[in-house]
Amino acid sequence: MAAIRASGLVKRFDGTCAIDGVDLAVEQGEVRGLLGPNGAGKSTLLRMLLGLVRRDEGSVELFERSFDAPAAAIPDGVAGFVEEPSFYPYLSGRTNLELLAELDGGDARDQIDAVLERVMLSQRAADRVSAYSTGMRQRLGIAAALLRRPRLLLLDEPTSGLDPAGARDVRILVRELSRDGVAVLLSSHLIGEVEDACDSFTMLRRGRVVWSGTALQLRAQAPASAYALSTSDDARAIEVAKDHVGIRALPGANGSLSLKVPDGMLDPYVLALARSGVAVRRLELLVSPLELMFFSLTDDTQQDLGPGVEPSSVAT
Amino acid sequence: MWTVSRSERRKLAAQTPARLLALVCLLGPFAFAAVLGLQSGVPADTLFGVWVHTSGFAVSLVVLGFAGSWGFPVIAGVLAGDLFSAEDRHGTWKTLLTRSCSRWDVFAGKVLAAAMFGAAMVAITALSSLVAGLVVAGDHPLVGLSGTLLSGGRSLALVLASWVLSLFPLLAFMSIAVLFSVATRNGIMGVLGPILVALAMQLLALVGSGTWVHTLLVASAFDDWNGLFTAHPFFGPLVLGSLVSVAWMVACLGVSWLILRRRDFAGPPVARRPGWVMPARAVVGTAVVLAALAAAGNLGPAAITASRLKAAITPTFNDLTLLQQRLLGRVVPAGAKLRILTSCNRRAGASTGPGDDWSCTLDVFIPQPGAVPFQQTPVTYDVSVKSDGCYKAEAPPSFVGQQMMRDAQGHNVVNPLFTIYGCFDTT
Repeated sequence: MAAIRASGLVKRFDGTCAIDGVDLAVEQGEVRGLLGPNGAGKSTLLRMLLGLVRRDEGSVELFERSFDAPAAAIPDGVAGFVEEPSFYPYLSGRTNLELLAELDGGDARDQIDAVLERVMLSQRAADRVSAYSTGMRQRLGIAAALLRRPRLLLLDEPTSGLDPAGARDVRILVRELSRDGVAVLLSSHLIGEVEDACDSFTMLRRGRVVWSGTALQLRAQAPASAYALSTSDDARAIEVAKDHVGIRALPGANGSLSLKVPDGMLDPYVLALARSGVAVRRLELLVSPLELMFFSLTDDTQQDLGPGVEPSSVAT
Repeated sequence: MWTVSRSERRKLAAQTPARLLALVCLLGPFAFAAVLGLQSGVPADTLFGVWVHTSGFAVSLVVLGFAGSWGFPVIAGVLAGDLFSAEDRHGTWKTLLTRSCSRWDVFAGKVLAAAMFGAAMVAITALSSLVAGLVVAGDHPLVGLSGTLLSGGRSLALVLASWVLSLFPLLAFMSIAVLFSVATRNGIMGVLGPILVALAMQLLALVGSGTWVHTLLVASAFDDWNGLFTAHPFFGPLVLGSLVSVAWMVACLGVSWLILRRRDFAGPPVARRPGWVMPARAVVGTAVVLAALAAAGNLGPAAITASRLKAAITPTFNDLTLLQQRLLGRVVPAGAKLRILTSCNRRAGASTGPGDDWSCTLDVFIPQPGAVPFQQTPVTYDVSVKSDGCYKAEAPPSFVGQQMMRDAQGHNVVNPLFTIYGCFDTT
């Protein structure tokens, strides 16, 4: 059963088309990344799926039942938040969750302690939300979503405001939920945050889907990764690269080489350099395949993949 | 809806303005009664103000009169004016609407919660004003608006009924506050809106003599209970006022629901309007409507006429005169009636419509032994009549005596004839 099946979604604001004919399908247990630059329509699409925004055209089915927002309440088992989660600042974190659990009914109130523990907010649950940091509010938002025992989770920038450890915990949580059969649709403009967490991706640009597929399909179609390489003999390194199909090594900025390497070809090339007597002094990943794909599909301008891009360091 | 209502009541109870309001409703009447107890003066220009030292029930009615003018619109604004705009301010619509409740559940639940809180505030004020009044002035019979004495039991029942009936216009004002809150998404406009509307309605009630516009002024309904305190209670204004209140509730809540149902919660970057555009539109729209109503103030039959005033003040004067005589220790046979010929008119213009330039001359024919069977004694009252048919008549002390007089037991008591307060049916 598909958790989400949306077809032909259109939304206009004051004549501007924010969502233009979007189709989206997410299966149970799948983690789908929704990517796009700012203003691409990610949040608007999530709001349409959560019933916060009326759709001008198209249909939405959640677990194969038509979702007639905004007249209908969001179905049980569907949870999520858009942008920064918001709560009543004059109430404590726990009281906020109690109010929300009351609205959900059932045994949601019994889950409060467990979800607070899971997002590591138990110690601060009695404090007013007005005293919470951005990261704490983000975690409280995740807790509020978990109260609904979701089978479908829609998260908008879930790692926003979290430190690296917190972001890692969110990714681990998403994976755990996926293993339990929960479908997750999460949006982000930080490619690195979703690259490892997601099974599949949908990329938006100006309200339209420009690419959709699995992670494997993405890697197969993605351009080669870009690296910055410093060696003991750059000229020899360039020659060795010519012996490997698909690898390009060119003099780059700051005395390093700019290296383009298809997926899976890096290890053989580094070993070949060693056999040729060339020592690798520094090798830095500049842009991942997903980022290259993202830039090429969603930006109008050509991206400079040189050393000016924030590196993800792999020192050797 | 009930679940949302429970949740909303909890939120309201946790907020400082609501708590302060409850405190004022509880302690305000006691403070008022304490001030009354410390001084001999009486509240001026209130229907039952002259009797506050005589009967505790009058204290409660004076509090009710003040609440109708200002207190209830403030209650409406505080409880309902930020009900919806607070979600915009905290950004919590997206939190609320992603739970297992529809937009209708949220709307109805919030309105129900505010209504229950409003009723609770009325109950608190009613009971505290009654207790405070009875402590200060006792449960002595109350002088009604026709000059007749109402027993303690009957007074209690009528006072409680008056407070209950005030719920209709209060709920109407809460509906106005909800509309401001939903339409403007601005808490300040939501809280102040009903207060400004009440002020505007009070000003409109002073303009024109026709009934059509005045009937639509739901603020007038706060005083419709006056008819219960006459010798022959009349219910026309009460029924009409309640129907008008219900009509305002239906209209305001209906429009509010339509706005909320169609709204997109698209977040600040896409759909947020500039903060003061909607409030400015609401203010301009309200001003246009009020101007039109003022211009239409003379439409419809006149509610205040010389014949109605004459028919009301004559028996009231009769009953108050007999009451005065009993207080002075004179024997007055049951059912005694004076012969009175009354004429009422306005000093300027036609003798219709509310105003403070009415004059009523009551020729009292007192039987005299001897050749002239009756001595005609005219007394002229300066009368101020409001659009709801309630009036205040004042006469010079040379005929009716001073404001305070000594009764047969030597106590200082209010002279019933010094200032006459009464009401008549305008429907």
